[in-house]
Amino acid sequence: MVLEAMIETGKALELAPSTTDDLMSRVQRGDMNAYQELVRLYQRKVFRVISGYHRDPEDAMEVLQDTFLKVYTARQTWERRTSFSAWLYRIAINASIDRYRRGDKGRTTSLDDVMEAQVQRSPAAGTPHTPLDRLRDRERRRFLEEAVRRLPFRQREVVSLRYFAEMQLDEIARVLDCPLGTVKSNLHKAVLALKNMLMGQKEVFSYE
Amino acid sequence: MNNCESVRDLLVLHAEGELPPEQKTQVENHLIACAECREEAAGIDKIRSWLAEPALFAPPEDYSWQFLPRKLSERARTLPAVKHWLPANLGSLGWTLSMAATLFLACGLIWLTQRQTPAPVPAVQVEAPGNQAFLGKIQSAYAREMTSQYLGQCQDLLLNVVRAEKSCEGQKYDVSLEVTRARDLLQRKRMLDSELRAPEVAHAKDLCDELEAFLINLSTSEKCESTDKLHGMERFIEKEQLLLRINVLQAELS
Repeated sequence: MVLEAMIETGKALELAPSTTDDLMSRVQRGDMNAYQELVRLYQRKVFRVISGYHRDPEDAMEVLQDTFLKVYTARQTWERRTSFSAWLYRIAINASIDRYRRGDKGRTTSLDDVMEAQVQRSPAAGTPHTPLDRLRDRERRRFLEEAVRRLPFRQREVVSLRYFAEMQLDEIARVLDCPLGTVKSNLHKAVLALKNMLMGQKEVFSYE
Repeated sequence: MNNCESVRDLLVLHAEGELPPEQKTQVENHLIACAECREEAAGIDKIRSWLAEPALFAPPEDYSWQFLPRKLSERARTLPAVKHWLPANLGSLGWTLSMAATLFLACGLIWLTQRQTPAPVPAVQVEAPGNQAFLGKIQSAYAREMTSQYLGQCQDLLLNVVRAEKSCEGQKYDVSLEVTRARDLLQRKRMLDSELRAPEVAHAKDLCDELEAFLINLSTSEKCESTDKLHGMERFIEKEQLLLRINVLQAELS
């Protein structure tokens, strides 16, 4: 029961790669229970990675569903020597970029827009009952999410896989088909770019 | 190492625990002595801790997550599977026959195309620029041309895979160029996406999707691949008649 609850909430559950690979092998043999278990295990993490490309949660949800459907239809193309999660995130990123190129690209909000919205929703603007700390946290997250979406593609991919999919750098290199050095360099640039973008926003971020 | 600039280049990797022990010690020694770099490192740590917050890009809690696995499983059952290069029953004779059939059909198509008497060309109405129909024709021709080019490039790649040579150590096949090319073609497929939605290239879209699955696998291959893997790919190309189908589609598109 505890295990099921953890799967449902997507919290603190890390299965060994061999376990997910075993599940995927069962999916290849047509086991739909194994497929549902894989979806349960990964749906939230994949959603977070996809959200780095799509502001609209509905778009992200569609891409999430496309990703898992592709996992099923392309199940026979997965090979056991490739880690399942690397293969899954590769499909998710491809699906996100496809969708982004098809028409989601015009929806990016500028950081200024986010700041303006934040000012409008500040306690002084009419939400006196919301605790200030919670509001600041929420706005900080919103601002940071937008900043991540503004990163160049490669940097965004690395940040998403590192922090939202919680992958190791060498795994990321395998997903993105690039040398480990390129992953490190993109991560370095991304973190510095985010820091520079956010340092100027003293209203939302404080570094003390 | 006491140059601030070179230390700052390493701060992110230091925070990630990705530095070799010697560099790690050097960075840490520098941080003890340099307040400015310490501040820089603290800023980086802060950004990393915010990025690591589970609430960032958190999935909406009001979504019925518990039902998604079953919903997807029901939808997935109705979808056709993309096939893999399962070992085919056909041996090398089958492969040769298939290649011969491909070449025969391609030659036949070329012969037929050249043999046909050109039909009387209807007078082309020159339409004013900006006219929707005129633009539609241009877009349609462009979609056909781009798709045909893409298929041609895929075909070249498939042929290269078939002709790969055992030039790696351990009698392995060298497919390094093909792996790079597969990645390029995956990028190109994404850029072709809007063209592939044109009704004129609807047939080609299905084939392009099948090719995409093949390209994804090829792009994740090692630079030197085993005989089993290469033969698996060859059998897949043969079984799905990819070369033949590309030829037929190219003839249709032209």
